[in-house]
Amino acid sequence: MAPSGVSRGRLTALIVAPRLAFRGVRLSEARFASLLILPAFLGIVVVVVFPLVYSLWMSFADVNLLRATGPAIEVLGVRIPLFRFIGVQNYVRIFSDPLYWDSFWRTAYFAAAFVAETTLVGLAMALVLHERFAGRPLMRSLLLIPWALSRVVVGLLWQGILDVEFGAFNGFLYNVGAIDSYVSFFKNGFSALNVLVSVYMWNQGPFATLLFLAGMQSIPLELYMAAEADGAGYWQRFRYITLPALRGILFLVLVVSTVNGFLMLDLIYVLTMGGPGNDTTTISWLGFQTAFQFFKFGPGTAVLYTLTVLCLILTVVYHKLVFRKLETEA
Amino acid sequence: MERLTRRTLLRNAAVFGASTMLADGFLDAARADKPIKFVGWVFKPDTVKDYVNYYNQKFGGQVQYEPIPWAQYHPTIETRTFGGEVFDVMYSAHNYRERWYENGLLRVLDDLPGIDELKKKMTPQNLESLKNKDGKLAALPYFTSLFILIYNEPMLRQAGIKEPAKTWDELVEHCMKLKRDKVSDTPYLPNWNVSPSGTMPQFMTDCFSEGASVFDASNRVIVDQEAGAARAMERWQKVWKAELVNPEVLTKTSSTDTHRLFWTGRYAYHTNHSYYLKTIAGEPENSKLAPKKAKMTMYPGTGHTYMWTDSYTINAKTKNLEDAWKLIRFLGGNLTGDWYVQRQWCLISGLDNPYPEMYNHPEIIASYDRWVDLKLLRKQYEKGKVIAAYKEPWYGEYDVKAVPIVHNIIRGTSTVSQGLKELVRLQRSLV
Repeated sequence: MAPSGVSRGRLTALIVAPRLAFRGVRLSEARFASLLILPAFLGIVVVVVFPLVYSLWMSFADVNLLRATGPAIEVLGVRIPLFRFIGVQNYVRIFSDPLYWDSFWRTAYFAAAFVAETTLVGLAMALVLHERFAGRPLMRSLLLIPWALSRVVVGLLWQGILDVEFGAFNGFLYNVGAIDSYVSFFKNGFSALNVLVSVYMWNQGPFATLLFLAGMQSIPLELYMAAEADGAGYWQRFRYITLPALRGILFLVLVVSTVNGFLMLDLIYVLTMGGPGNDTTTISWLGFQTAFQFFKFGPGTAVLYTLTVLCLILTVVYHKLVFRKLETEA
Repeated sequence: MERLTRRTLLRNAAVFGASTMLADGFLDAARADKPIKFVGWVFKPDTVKDYVNYYNQKFGGQVQYEPIPWAQYHPTIETRTFGGEVFDVMYSAHNYRERWYENGLLRVLDDLPGIDELKKKMTPQNLESLKNKDGKLAALPYFTSLFILIYNEPMLRQAGIKEPAKTWDELVEHCMKLKRDKVSDTPYLPNWNVSPSGTMPQFMTDCFSEGASVFDASNRVIVDQEAGAARAMERWQKVWKAELVNPEVLTKTSSTDTHRLFWTGRYAYHTNHSYYLKTIAGEPENSKLAPKKAKMTMYPGTGHTYMWTDSYTINAKTKNLEDAWKLIRFLGGNLTGDWYVQRQWCLISGLDNPYPEMYNHPEIIASYDRWVDLKLLRKQYEKGKVIAAYKEPWYGEYDVKAVPIVHNIIRGTSTVSQGLKELVRLQRSLV
């Protein structure tokens, strides 16, 4: 609140005026604010906007990094080739490739399975860790370990656990009598794809748990107490208090896990390299291969931009689905 | 003892500074060469550092070595070149060399002094595979290798098999017996891994051993017309169906991972690059089949196997051509007169080279004797077959996209005839 006798505008002027008058240059408040955010804005332009726009351009161009002799722009002394514009040829080419569509449906399956697993397991773990029990702080800390591991390490770890020759998981199943001989989890393409989903969920689930847990801790206890007083059981409290209160978090988890599911690459690199056959080739792996193994950066970026568009569409769909009821209620 | 005053401290500091500058000046004078950037993919980087240090000391060189992880080595070089960096001397895998040359990244070596002598010392097939499509030499050899057949002698003996297989039929028969007798669950370990060093080189090897060609003189894939290729694929289907092969070999991501399976002693036969026998039969700390319990035998059928040569190259934009040429001769030639670097790789890793005279060196003979029958290995090299198709611009993509097709043949999800036709179609679609 402004001190008595000083208007709001005058107060602002008192705070800002010494800076506005810096070195005799007088700036309006809005311009001064713009000046302050300019460094951050420039940083974002350089590391986010420019790569996005440039890679989008590449998806419409004939790109050869070693023969960058076409037109170019120069930014801060760095020559940036523009390559030859070829319209939508790269997109036409990838959409007419059956491998792209096979990979597309495989990616859709992968992302759907991953989102479902991550959301359910993340929520279940959060519900457990929200309860009071001995060792809860330790469990909450341990939970973060899989998420904190580099994905290459995660891949190598699970490669060892699931190995058909000496894998610990096979050893465990064999010793408890669940199997007669060691199982090959990567023999069949569908099984290999599901292994990838589960390993990725093991890695990313804790983050979802963390988000759900944070959401649960912000729900006022009085609501639960009142519900209990009204005779609501555990599932009713979960259905009518916890779940609606977690709607915003659920949206975040769905969006993050969908984007992660679509973009997952490193585990494929470490565990299967898209095999056996093409049975674990997803769009992200196909895009990576096209760009970095075949050096076809035009079609490669085109493949990956289809993923970006897909992620954007799904984000809008999630937003509509998750918040529809809330908006109706409002 | 003299008391330390401000004046003495300043004087001593000045004398120290001047002497350091002078010493640096002398050192500079002693360094004949200009700085050279040398990059390679990561394989025993400490060994590389050792010989780079040796070179710098012996020749007053200023070589700066930078190892780059193998998986992203070639894309990294291309993107950094795109950013304006110039690497004077670079490793180059055989299937990337032509692309680099065609795009002006590499220079030819034919005009450099002493090259004719080196050419004369190289085996003709290797020399041919170091040349570009236009017949000009663009590289010196880092190493050469080929596919060999390795067998587990104690396992064969345990099963009462006195001699390793000489034919493919015998090999399959042995494996069937070993499985039937419960000596091994999966006795056969072909190098069907998903990487570019696995399935496709193994495919070419087995086609060659059946007397089939994979490419014609114009480098077009012709496996659909080759009875030997069909025979090889029918055999692969047969051993897969009979569960003689560990199914996870199809998702192993490197030949290194694949050969490590053989360390366990649970397999009878293994086909892989020749140098892997060094760790299998020569490293008791890692392998149950060392020392020399795993042996090589001549490849069945015609005995021909796929051979390739990886290399050192010089950047076309180098500003220190003289020094780059000197370094590359040290690495891939014989600058020191004792094949220093080539010999190191033979001794340390069993990486072979295309200079046959090296194999008369007593140190090499003694070292190889610890893990392989050198005479037999040299005999296998006489049967090594090189291809020229990797010099085509489409080869890299074909090589990667062909793997799932061959995996589908192996798993029986496509027939041999369909699969071979699909390989041909793939190649034609990329031209």
